[in-house]
Amino acid sequence: MTNLEKLNGVFCEVFLVDATALGEGFDNQHVDGWDSVRQLSLASSLEDAFDIMLDPVDILELTSYENARSMLGKYGIAL
Amino acid sequence: MFLDLNKKDPASLAVIDDSGQALTYGDICSFSAQFAQHVPARSLIFLLTENRNGSLLGYVACLSNGIVPLLLNAKTEEGTYRNLSDLYRPAYVWASEDNKHCAGMKPVFAAQGYALYPTGNVPVSMHPDLALLLLTSGSTGSPKLVRHSLRNVEVNAENVRQLFGLTADERAMAILPMYYTMGLSVITSHLLAGATVLLSGRSMLDKGFWATLREATSFTGVPYSYELLMRMRFMRMDLPNLRVLSQGGGKLTEEMFRALAQYAHDTGKRFIATYGQSECTARMAYLPAELALEKTCSIGFAEPGGQLSLVDENGHESFTGEATGELVYRGENVTLGYAFGPEDLTKGDENHGVMHTGDLARRDADGCYFIVGRLKRFLKIYGIRVDLEELENLIQSTFKTDCYCKGDDEKLVVLVADRQVAAQLPAFLENKTHLFHKNLEIRLVDEILRNEAGKVINQ
Repeated sequence: MTNLEKLNGVFCEVFLVDATALGEGFDNQHVDGWDSVRQLSLASSLEDAFDIMLDPVDILELTSYENARSMLGKYGIAL
Repeated sequence: MFLDLNKKDPASLAVIDDSGQALTYGDICSFSAQFAQHVPARSLIFLLTENRNGSLLGYVACLSNGIVPLLLNAKTEEGTYRNLSDLYRPAYVWASEDNKHCAGMKPVFAAQGYALYPTGNVPVSMHPDLALLLLTSGSTGSPKLVRHSLRNVEVNAENVRQLFGLTADERAMAILPMYYTMGLSVITSHLLAGATVLLSGRSMLDKGFWATLREATSFTGVPYSYELLMRMRFMRMDLPNLRVLSQGGGKLTEEMFRALAQYAHDTGKRFIATYGQSECTARMAYLPAELALEKTCSIGFAEPGGQLSLVDENGHESFTGEATGELVYRGENVTLGYAFGPEDLTKGDENHGVMHTGDLARRDADGCYFIVGRLKRFLKIYGIRVDLEELENLIQSTFKTDCYCKGDDEKLVVLVADRQVAAQLPAFLENKTHLFHKNLEIRLVDEILRNEAGKVINQ
């Protein structure tokens, strides 16, 4: 599985959506139920999937699919 | 006036919300007077609340003027809202101007981004003692309201003020929703103390939340709030203003309880665990900060003005000494009773100051209480109360299939025998209970085995 597929898999599981829904505009302003519970669960799932430990500051920035994508680079995960 | 608000310093700050706008005690009093000109006393009104100044003003104005509000989440799902609205037929609705439930209605008064909408419904008959209605948390099926008297609300505020030693110097972070009993209790008790409420509707994963927390002298959260604070490693943050960490709404894990008690001890803060229910106007018991390190996960003693006891399986009630049994609370904050429909609003006090909590507790030799289980079948996950029987009825009536619900305070487990239903349940349950998928487990079984008494045996 590629890292992108892994990332998409995490989003699909956390938000109960199909991978086609992911992309620009998939963020906390437009996605129903993107609350703190879900954001934290997203953080935990990303940590598990990529075996990384996110900085608290980065958890606060997990407010969109695009942010999550670009953030992974900081942790040495190439997409 | 409600909470003697007109006797506080009119120039001192009562509330600041996320917009940064501040209201003084004088502002609150003059708003209440204004509000009374548009809504007759003893009207039933729905307040569609968010943690914003406009919602708080509506709440205070109602309780100051004998107007009876039902506090609801402004984002209440359409179907639930319609049900409540059709059932109780409020004469007025107070909501933010852009609330979708009020689309097309004509406001007669507006302030702070909120508007007052008359519905044209004829006034309903209500008991003279009825002052406030809240929805029991996590109701999945038919809505159940808790009926409060003004005395209930004021006694709770006074008890909480005393147990925390609240003064006008406090700046309390209020992030729990105000339609939730403990969120409301934080607001009410601090207003009684003449303190400042930092009212926030922000997610704890919003940067603004952390900026406000630095200003706050106290923080009140449910176990999940603390899980989140710890996940964000708040213990390493510099929070010199924060003096009190208070917790309610369910049980912390032993590990978290110890970590918080130790953190508070090391940094000169106070960690105060509390216990309560909507049925008792939020709080009933608290563990004094100085016992936090010693009495892990204890709910401590009855709050000032209240009394706790245990009723064992033989029906024997005891007030002192080591014992285990159902926890019973007595105090003036025990609410009047429930309402299942408008006819119940005419009822008076049915509880008479005594509440059998349904929680199983142990009392140690020092008189400290510990919750050890429940008599009734319900779970409490993230402070969301899940009534297992109610949920089973809901699943059975919706999907026409047998099921069995169980679990703990981490996870709800649903046993079903129908593969198709099992596939639909995660989305259905998330929607109905507002639990998150990680807290749900659907188990497909060959059949739900019941014994002759109807009790499920393949647990």
